[in-house]
Amino acid sequence: MSTFHLTVSTPDGQMFDGEVQSLRLRMLDGDLGLLPHHENYVAGVGAGEALIVTENGEKRRAACIGGLLSMLDNRANLLSTTFEWAENIDAERARKAKEVAEHRISEAKSAKELTLARAKLERALVRLKVRG
Amino acid sequence: MAGASMKDIKLRIKSVESTMQITKAMELVASSKLRRAKEREERAYPYFSALRDTMDRIEDSTTDFSSPYQVRRTIERQCLIVIAGDRGLAGGYNSNVFRYYEALVREDPIKTCIIPIGKRAYEYFQRRGADIVTDAFVEAAGIMVGDCFELARLITKGYLAGEFDRVSVIYTRFVSLLTQTTDSVQLLPLVDYREEKKEQTEKGIEPLVLYEPSANAVYDTIVPHYISGMIYGAMCESVASELGARRTAMDAASKNASAMIEDLSLRYNRARQGAITQEITEIVAGAEH
Repeated sequence: MSTFHLTVSTPDGQMFDGEVQSLRLRMLDGDLGLLPHHENYVAGVGAGEALIVTENGEKRRAACIGGLLSMLDNRANLLSTTFEWAENIDAERARKAKEVAEHRISEAKSAKELTLARAKLERALVRLKVRG
Repeated sequence: MAGASMKDIKLRIKSVESTMQITKAMELVASSKLRRAKEREERAYPYFSALRDTMDRIEDSTTDFSSPYQVRRTIERQCLIVIAGDRGLAGGYNSNVFRYYEALVREDPIKTCIIPIGKRAYEYFQRRGADIVTDAFVEAAGIMVGDCFELARLITKGYLAGEFDRVSVIYTRFVSLLTQTTDSVQLLPLVDYREEKKEQTEKGIEPLVLYEPSANAVYDTIVPHYISGMIYGAMCESVASELGARRTAMDAASKNASAMIEDLSLRYNRARQGAITQEITEIVAGAEH
């Protein structure tokens, strides 16, 4: 099975570096599946679940929020603001963040507060969904 | 200079000793935190340098490229992000930052608004009645990557809306454990640091890349991330510098304290000896009669 090289970097360090069979990601305008020998491609990443199928067929899921994906010469580079493996997500914390965000939305006084709280809620929801 | 003063000297020695314990502890705390601060910066570096690479590639490979972040406007109002510490006891760390700011403003007196980071910076600008944009980022110690993203979003939005025409950050560069220099970096409009480099590297044929939805759009979404990376880098350097400055200051304070203790012990022993001699003289004088 042909593979391609994937690195995932975040401001908190490198999260993944290795050969993968495929990558599925939520982009700004929908899901994207990336297979080996994809053409050179650069695009913005949205907020959602990422599914990585590694070299030996193992499926790994992660919450991936914001950033940039580039595929150059069969080497993919995912630069993500937040990238958390499903098993590392703190469900309790995400649930609390969700409650706080919901509370803030109901009490938001300005448009700025509302967008901030909405973004927080979205992040919490993505985490909860991936955690399952 | 006898009994009473002996007691006084003993008390002073005790108080200097306890001060020295504190300065020593602070020095140790600063050293271990310093190591962590440097690691934090190193972990984040690959991410942000990869962003910069992508931006460079877009600039080079796209012929009809233009971005509102690169347009130079006449500068009427600038925004300064000033990073200082939360606490004192770090030698000249805080005052150096403020002195740098004063020199900068004196040289180029245009309308300026401030985003202070660090309690000391906030207090300083509040006292001077400066135009403070936001006080949401006052605590320097607790600033995470997420806060830098928020700050970057705030800046880029304000910049696009024309609230300010130039954004710079004043921070302290960590040169070595003993030297830290205050410096400033322009964030917006974007500066091309590669202007000199460009001529040296003979460019080959750039590979064709598909940008979705377009090169310009991708570029403009990266910019806030890149800016937040610059801020985060400056933050990490400043925090490391503060800890370095504190370490040096506390080291000097501990040395001063031990010198003081030495001097005081000498005086104490002299006073003790003087008291004994006097007592003997008195006894001898009494026995002779």
